[in-house]
Amino acid sequence: MSTTYRQGTVAAVALPDVLPPLVRRGRTRTFLRRHPTIAAGGALIALMLAIAVFAPWLGTVDPTAIDPIHRLADPSARHWFGTDMLGRDVWSRTLYGARISLLVGFSVAFCAGAAGTLVGVAAGFIRVLDGVLMRIMDGLMSIPPILLAIALMALTRASVQNVIFAISVSEFPRVSRLVRGIVLSLREQPFVEAAVAAGTRLPRIILRHILPNTVAALLVQATYTCASAMITEAILSFIGAGTPPIIPSWGNIMAEGRALWEIKPYIVFFPAFFLSVTVLAVNLLGDGLRDALDPRLAKRL
Amino acid sequence: MLAYALRRILATIPVMLFVAFFVFSLLYLAPGDPAAIIAGDQATPAQIAAIRLNLGLDRPFLVRFGGWLWQVMHGNLGTSIFTSLPVSHMIAQRLEPTLSLMVLSTLIAITVAIPLGVLAAWKQGSWIDRLVMVLAVFGFSTPVFVVGYLLAYVFALKLGWLPVQGFHSLRHGFWPYLRTLILPSVALGLIYIALIARITRATMLEVLSQDYVRTARAKGVGNRAILFVHALKNAAVPITTVVGSGVALLIGGAVVTESVFAIPGLGRLTTDAILQRDYPVIQGVVLLFSFVYVVVNLIVDLLYTLFDPRIRY
Repeated sequence: MSTTYRQGTVAAVALPDVLPPLVRRGRTRTFLRRHPTIAAGGALIALMLAIAVFAPWLGTVDPTAIDPIHRLADPSARHWFGTDMLGRDVWSRTLYGARISLLVGFSVAFCAGAAGTLVGVAAGFIRVLDGVLMRIMDGLMSIPPILLAIALMALTRASVQNVIFAISVSEFPRVSRLVRGIVLSLREQPFVEAAVAAGTRLPRIILRHILPNTVAALLVQATYTCASAMITEAILSFIGAGTPPIIPSWGNIMAEGRALWEIKPYIVFFPAFFLSVTVLAVNLLGDGLRDALDPRLAKRL
Repeated sequence: MLAYALRRILATIPVMLFVAFFVFSLLYLAPGDPAAIIAGDQATPAQIAAIRLNLGLDRPFLVRFGGWLWQVMHGNLGTSIFTSLPVSHMIAQRLEPTLSLMVLSTLIAITVAIPLGVLAAWKQGSWIDRLVMVLAVFGFSTPVFVVGYLLAYVFALKLGWLPVQGFHSLRHGFWPYLRTLILPSVALGLIYIALIARITRATMLEVLSQDYVRTARAKGVGNRAILFVHALKNAAVPITTVVGSGVALLIGGAVVTESVFAIPGLGRLTTDAILQRDYPVIQGVVLLFSFVYVVVNLIVDLLYTLFDPRIRY
C-alpha cells in the first residue's frame, strides 16, 4: 500500500524525466527502511547462502577427512571450532552443513508449495474432488508433521532427496488448505465472473486470474515452510532418521556431538547457533513479507 | 449442544480411519517386499518367508487392513520385531514420562504466554510489547534441542541446580519427579509459549478495539476487569484453537527433547524403533500420537461452545 501511495506522489510532481533512475533506487531503499525485518532477514540469508556457496574457500578442509590423532581438539588457530570424535574439523563441517540445510529448506518450500498449489487449485475448482481431497489433507494434517516425516523416513534409505520428499509430504497439506481458501474466495470476485462471462477458458482463468493472486500468500507461506523444513531436517538427522551420517548436516554434527556434549559442548553449540540464526533469518523475512504484502494480516499478527 | 457434539465426534471417524489406513499402508508404500524390509539386510529366505506368513501377505490388502484395524480397536497393536513384546505393552510402559512432559509443558506455556500476550496487547507499542514480539520470533526460530542443550548447560552443568538427564517416576516421590522434568518441559514449552503469546496478543488487540470494551471503560470498569473479564473471555476461542493445534509441535518436540534429556518415554521409543526399523512400534506410536492430536482438537472444538455460546453449528 505504501508503495502505491509513493508512486502517486511521484507522479504528481511534474518532473518525471529527470527523476526516474534516482526514484527507483530510492524506492528500494525506502522499502527496506520501512521493512527492517526484510532487510535484516534477507541480509542474513544472503550471508548464509554465501557461506554455503563459498564454503571451500573459507579456511575449510575436507569436512569428511578423518584425523584420529587430533580428535576432540579444543578450538584453536588450526581448528577454529575444534575437532569432533573422529578428528574432523567442526568449522568445515558446520560451513558445509549450511549447504544441506539451505538445500533442504528451499527444496521443501518449492516442492510443498507446488504440490499444495496443485491440490488447492484442483479442490477449489473441481467440486467433485473437493470433498475427497480435503478429507485426505485433513487426514494427513492429523498426523503431527515431524512424526509423518519420521514415519516416511523409516521406510526409505537415508538420503537428502528422501528427506526433502518426506518433509514436503508433511508440509504440503497446509499449503493446499491455504490455496483452496484463496481460490474459493477469488472465484466469487467480479473480475473472475467477468472473465467467465467473457468466455475465458478454465486454464486461462487459473493462469491469468487465480494464480497471480495467490503468489503473495504463497510466498509468505513458503518462508514458514522453509524455516520449519530446516528445523525438521535437523531433528530428523539428530535422531538418526535424516541425512546419512557421512553428510555433514547440522543435525548430524549435533547428533555426533551428543555423546560428548557435557565435556565438549561447543561441538553441539556451533551448528546449533548456525541453525538458529538461519531459521531466524527466514522467519524474519517471512514476517516482513507478510507485513509488506498484506497490511491487513500485519495488524492481526 | 449434544447434537453438535455428537456430529463433531462422528466427523472425526473418517479422519481417524484415513490415519489408520495410512499408517497401515506405510509398510506397503515402500518399494520392495515388506517382509524383506522388516527382516532387514541379514535375513535368510526362510526368515523372510516366516514374516511374510506372519503378515498374511497371501491375503488381499483390504482384508489384511480390516483384520489389523479390528485388532487395533481391541487394543492390540501387534508385536515388536525387536523385543517380541506387545507394542501396546511397550507404549504403556513409556507413557508416564511423555505424558508428564507434555502436560507440564502445556501448563508452563499457558501460564506464561497468556499473561505475556495480554500485557503486550495492553501496552501496545511499548518496549514490553516489542520485547514479547522479539522473544516470540526467537522462540519460533530456536529448535527445541538447541534450547534444551542451552538450558541443560546453564542450569545443570554450570549451576548444578537441576539434574542434567534422566527421569524419576512419580512413584519415587514428587520432588525428584518434578526436578527431572523442569528443564525438558521449559525447553519443549518455549516454542509453544511463542505461539500462544503471539496469538493472544493479536486477538486481544482485536478485541480491545471493540465497542463493548469502550463501553465498559466509559462506565468506569477497572483495567484489570476489562482485560481479564471482557477481553480475554472473548479472545478465548482463537487462543484455544492455537493451544489445540500446537499439540502437534509438542508431540514432535517431545521426540527430540527425550533424546536430549535421556528420558525413557514414547519419543525415545520412536527414535529407537526407527534405528531398529521396528515397524509395528513405529505404526503404533504414530497411530497413538495422531489419535491424541485428533482428540485434543475435538475437545478444543467442543470447548468453543462453552467459551462462546453464540457458536452453534
